[in-house]
Amino acid sequence: MLRISFIQFRSILAIVVLSSFLISCSTKASNRYFGKTVAPTDNILRYITGSEPESLDPQFVTGQPEARIMMALYDGLVEYHPKTMEAIPAIAESWELNEDGTEYIFHLRKTAKFSNGDPITAKDFVYSFRRGLSPELASRNANLAYYIKYSEAYNADRSFVKDASGKFLLKSDLEEKKDGETPAETKHETVGADTEFHKFLDAPERLTVPSDEKQRNKLTDKDAKLKAALDGKQFVPVKAEDIGVEAVDDYTLRLKLYQPAPFFLGLLAHQFFRVVNQGAIEKFGKDWVKPANIVTSGPFKVVTHKPYDELVVTRDPNYWDAANVHLDGIEFYPLDEQTTMLNLYKAGRVDATYNHTVPAPWNETVREFKDEYSLHPEAAVEYYSLSVKKPPMDNLKVRQALSLAIDRDALAKFRKTIKPLVDFTPEGIFPKYEEARRKVYSEELKKQGSSLEEWKARKFDAEKARKLMTEAGYPVEQTGDGYACPTFPIEKVTLTYNTAESNQKVAEFVQAQWKQNLGLTFPLKNMEFKTFLPYRSAVQYSGAVRNGWVGDYMDPFTFLNLFYSPQNDGATGWWDPKYDKMLDDANQETDEMKRFEMLAKAEFYVMQQQIVIPLGTSGTSWMKKPYVKGMYPNPGTLHPWKFVYIEPDQSKWTVNMDNIMESKDPQFEAQLNQLMATQIAAEKAKATEKPEEKTKTAKAE
Amino acid sequence: MLSFIIRRLIIIPFMALLVVTLTWGLIRVAPGTFYSQEKKLPPAIEENIKKKYGLDKPWYQQYFLMLGNVTCRTKPADYESTGGLQFSIAGTSFKCFDFGDSLKYPDRNVNQIIKDHLPYSATMGILAYLLALGIGLTAGIIAALKQNSAFDYGSMTFAMLGLSVPNFVLGPILVLVFALWLGWLPPARWGGLSALVLPVITLSAIYAAYIARLTRAGMLEVMRSDYIRTARAKGLDEKTVLLKHALRGGIVPVVSFTGPALASLLAGTVVVEKVFAIPGLGNMFIQSIFNRDEPLTLGIVAFLSIIIMVFNLIVDISYGFLDPRIRYE
Repeated sequence: MLRISFIQFRSILAIVVLSSFLISCSTKASNRYFGKTVAPTDNILRYITGSEPESLDPQFVTGQPEARIMMALYDGLVEYHPKTMEAIPAIAESWELNEDGTEYIFHLRKTAKFSNGDPITAKDFVYSFRRGLSPELASRNANLAYYIKYSEAYNADRSFVKDASGKFLLKSDLEEKKDGETPAETKHETVGADTEFHKFLDAPERLTVPSDEKQRNKLTDKDAKLKAALDGKQFVPVKAEDIGVEAVDDYTLRLKLYQPAPFFLGLLAHQFFRVVNQGAIEKFGKDWVKPANIVTSGPFKVVTHKPYDELVVTRDPNYWDAANVHLDGIEFYPLDEQTTMLNLYKAGRVDATYNHTVPAPWNETVREFKDEYSLHPEAAVEYYSLSVKKPPMDNLKVRQALSLAIDRDALAKFRKTIKPLVDFTPEGIFPKYEEARRKVYSEELKKQGSSLEEWKARKFDAEKARKLMTEAGYPVEQTGDGYACPTFPIEKVTLTYNTAESNQKVAEFVQAQWKQNLGLTFPLKNMEFKTFLPYRSAVQYSGAVRNGWVGDYMDPFTFLNLFYSPQNDGATGWWDPKYDKMLDDANQETDEMKRFEMLAKAEFYVMQQQIVIPLGTSGTSWMKKPYVKGMYPNPGTLHPWKFVYIEPDQSKWTVNMDNIMESKDPQFEAQLNQLMATQIAAEKAKATEKPEEKTKTAKAE
Repeated sequence: MLSFIIRRLIIIPFMALLVVTLTWGLIRVAPGTFYSQEKKLPPAIEENIKKKYGLDKPWYQQYFLMLGNVTCRTKPADYESTGGLQFSIAGTSFKCFDFGDSLKYPDRNVNQIIKDHLPYSATMGILAYLLALGIGLTAGIIAALKQNSAFDYGSMTFAMLGLSVPNFVLGPILVLVFALWLGWLPPARWGGLSALVLPVITLSAIYAAYIARLTRAGMLEVMRSDYIRTARAKGLDEKTVLLKHALRGGIVPVVSFTGPALASLLAGTVVVEKVFAIPGLGNMFIQSIFNRDEPLTLGIVAFLSIIIMVFNLIVDISYGFLDPRIRYE
């Protein structure tokens, strides 16, 4: 998944405005449904997924439009839960995690097959993972797998270091050693034979350095100790065979991670980790994705692909769970013009769209159709990054004042598809984390003589904002019915965003708020998307810049990780080793609630610095016809297609999308329970075997 | 005449290469890359991508490599693509006119993309132009013949309207009326004749208006000229005067307009393609620029520049047939 992928091409914005106006005139609220609403009789879903997919290669593609298509065509070890997006069994019928949280064992079902009839075994997963990480494929998603041992070293073309006696240097050899401490070696009971490869993976981590001599020299020039250590040594490139993925037997797969990563299981449902067919790829080279050659592993297989027109898929009888795939097929229409999408939807030629497809001027009209329109929270946030290393933004009080001076309730009402946010992780997505956060925040705030209520009031407090700005050395004066802040170096800052109607509206709103509440008029600057990206990520801007983030997996870490490491992607120039350590420590913790509390402390820490101005949690703003069932507004709008069906009986159609997550659909519940049963049984078996380890097994719920 | 054509034909490839070179330079100057995305890439992955696409080589090497691909070069041993022209002379394999694979859609060859998407734009564009010619010529001729009549004023008012209402306004209005209110026609997407009606009308409006005005002006001028008086004086009936003499001269402006108009209809219909979700070349072209998809942009630019030059050549040749006074030396 990527960050919010706003439609880049907005130059014909006028279409949206004009036709929105016309459409809203033509819609009458007396109709129960928006436009023509007749359930299709051919049992084929017509769906708009966004722009044309870059490819049908799951290890290569990056966007969300692609992710939805990949979910139809490929199956992975696990699948997203249709409502919560947590991991549920797919080709792996059950899994377990070892005591220290670094090793996953997956038990694959023996009935899984590719679309050409080949059985899917653990070896296919090993192939798929190695392929995804190969430098030759150059996948932009490879870093999702960097938690797997030596995968980053392989992907980044690094080498092990071997000395004359044939011993490999360890990473710990270069670290400061405490007295008597020996490098940690993980030893635990394991499934299957204790192979040489497994011993290699369990052994302490080896040192790796760039294979390229120039790059290596760059490193050794800076680090005398490393230079001495590498002197006269032999360099052995890290190969695909070295990464921590092992087929223990045909139906058992082992994954070895560098460090505990409690969110990693959820990440495995990502298309990057879905299984591909080695035979087809080796036979056809890059043409393997052509409809005539492609071999898939998911509930549906390709029938035709006409780029920019349609991708038609049909139910694959070879799929292991084909009996539970309800649709006969899906027609994906690649489209990126919102007005055209809703025209098709209204004319009854499309059954469902993806998220954020309702153009802003239509929103008022469309949201009245409660049986079709959904505005559920997403694992996505909108915020402004601040250039914290450049004056005047280097002043914490200035940053806090700017954040406090925005009325977030008014913004949410104006923007229509977001909910106010004062923290960095979205609200309404991680209930357990939010519980931990409330607890931690109350404690921390009490220490500061403040309270949770006061913290929440940060949604908007103009009085306090003016006070802070004055304290920062830029006095805010009252002038008539407004304010002025004459000493603020306004010529040094801008509010920059990439060209898109919605971005511009938000920027204008924020600009007005700052003018009204602080007397500051930030100059607005808009830039073409691809020009904007390097400008933002290199922090070339001074002031504030539009930003947004969509979670890669269902864990608050995917948000907090944004400010981790000196190369972090926060686009603020801020980095703090203390924050990194807080996150690292939290991930070492195996107790879920304790870990969440530690993460919440880190979030509190970073929010104290106010390096960003959170604006809101995104909402789905999504439409589906009421006869489409088994499809839920989950936090990433990623639908496991085998749950989706078309309900011809009007009495069973969706009523009120607001309650869709709580409503019970017997067919859906039965299918989900049946699928979850294998993992629940495995957990039970393990719990009775070793009761003391009950809490440490992977959780599927 | 023949030497004129040969001279022009020789110039075309060189002009196209010049255009390609300029475009290549402009793309390189533009900030951002095809792989830049909302999420920042780790440096190692960026290295992998640069290596894979040869972006780690010096710029002049990349330029000459590109130039070799789009003209002719020996075929590398590991070359997989089937785009362009491939042949062998005396044991050496060559490949020509190959723009390589798209960067955004890595399993599609640029030549193939143009081949795949041109028919959509061409069908729509040619139908729209035929419709525009039919309406425009008829209206223009009648308006000229009945100058200052109610028909003249009426049709010219309509033409003015057609010229001033942009297609991104006309399209949605037609969709609203005929697809959403009346439900007669599909609101968007390719497929069948019924799906072509609205985009073709939308696209043709501005051309019909332009042609009507050009025809009227051209006809009015010709009708007053000496050779028409001569034709009438020698006793030809009005029909012959009109169709054989007046029309040939009167539509010269329309013919000169046809060259660039047809070329722009082949790839410049991006707005209509967007509104009606048609997988044409215009949209591909615009998207390729937003995606920084260098091979695709270069391919379409080269294709378009050649098309425009060829159409202009055809137009220039046709003058000679339409107006006997025009001679080529």
